[in-house]
Amino acid sequence: MDFRKFRKRSPWILHYNTGSCNGCDIEILACLAPKYDVERFGILNRGNPKQSDILLVTGPVTKRAKERLLRLYFEMPEPKVVVAVGACACSGGVFRHMYNVENGVDKVIPVDVYVPGCAARPEAIIDGIVRALEILKEKGKEVELPHWCSAQVKPPVNRVKLLDRCLEELHGRR
Amino acid sequence: MSYWTAFILTLFSPVIGGFIYGLERIVRARMQGRVGPPLLQPFYDFFKLMDKRSIIIHSFHAFMGVMYLIGTWFALFVLLSGGDLLIAIFFHVLSLAFLVVGGFSVRSPYSVIGAMRELLHMVAYEPLYVLSAAALYLVTGTFQVSGILRSEHVPLIYLPLLFTAVLFSLPAILKKSPFDTAEAHQEIIGGPEIEYSGKFYEAVYTAKWIEYVYAFFFIFLFAGGNHILGALLIIFAFFFFNLLDNVTARVNFRQMVAFHWYILIPLAVINLMLIALWRS
Repeated sequence: MDFRKFRKRSPWILHYNTGSCNGCDIEILACLAPKYDVERFGILNRGNPKQSDILLVTGPVTKRAKERLLRLYFEMPEPKVVVAVGACACSGGVFRHMYNVENGVDKVIPVDVYVPGCAARPEAIIDGIVRALEILKEKGKEVELPHWCSAQVKPPVNRVKLLDRCLEELHGRR
Repeated sequence: MSYWTAFILTLFSPVIGGFIYGLERIVRARMQGRVGPPLLQPFYDFFKLMDKRSIIIHSFHAFMGVMYLIGTWFALFVLLSGGDLLIAIFFHVLSLAFLVVGGFSVRSPYSVIGAMRELLHMVAYEPLYVLSAAALYLVTGTFQVSGILRSEHVPLIYLPLLFTAVLFSLPAILKKSPFDTAEAHQEIIGGPEIEYSGKFYEAVYTAKWIEYVYAFFFIFLFAGGNHILGALLIIFAFFFFNLLDNVTARVNFRQMVAFHWYILIPLAVINLMLIALWRS
């Protein structure tokens, strides 16, 4: 039996705010409210990385948030996709090149879908999630690492060790 | 009911429980002015979780998740095969104990808090189920489920206060608002089930569906031999606890235990004493 087609039917969401102004977060919550009601498509806001499929990230990733973001990414079991919601998450937005931000989510973890807008409209967020589901359907189950991480994945996967290695590199790079 | 019918019914109880859960999600959405997911949504979740990678904290923790499923399944089998009511209650407590031990065995603070609150849940509602087993014995003269389902008395007529008490503690056993402190989804993100993922979360998720069947079968017993009344009671209880889930906020654990021990259990005990007096 092919279980891949069920990935599109029940995507569970983890929502993380990396120092956003709350504008995009309110729009994400508006998707769950009666007007847009994304639970029609089986989308639930779980708030638990271990049981989620889609990571919705808002905000320009402050220096404090980057480690938490990486930890959350590692705690999510594969297959998973990352959606960057809002101008800040895509490129840093109005905070770009400030001393305290990382200029977007894709500097820390690989991003699959970018949803622009300040704040991103609920329609745009839903469209972004639908695009993400198409990517999710094609993804494999092997462990994914950030593109800048040089660690090797060997069969008895120890996620704690992989995370430690990546955190070391994350804090080491400038 | 013969042994084999009970066995097959127990085997398919996750399917029944899944449909109840899917219906509950639709009813809850309609009550909030939403459309809600399709009826088969729990099964889509089930098949999706089959395909996820499982992250294991340590093997004992994962084992306890599976034992929770097996324990609830066995408790339901005892009920459906017409066994002893007290043994079914005992196995249900045991399965919850597996979940609690699993919750305590990891270092996540949410998991540990959730496990402690799960124990308080058991302290709150389990006496009520033991009391209702005793009350059903007083009315029908047997602890055997098969005997209760064949008796000519309708226990509901003798036990109105006890039935009300069980109805009000239904949210506690199914972990719905107002008594959902053990898996408060906004504060401790699921409580003891937080660290399960992939196939092991699937076991916990399925065990919760089986608990639906277990709890509603208990409601069914209050109609005794009158099975049509039993079906009506289940439908009433279903809508009643969904309404309660939607209109109430979460109470804290003190209020939950106090409500059970100061209001519901005295109600049940008064009902039992009245029956005993009336009999003598």
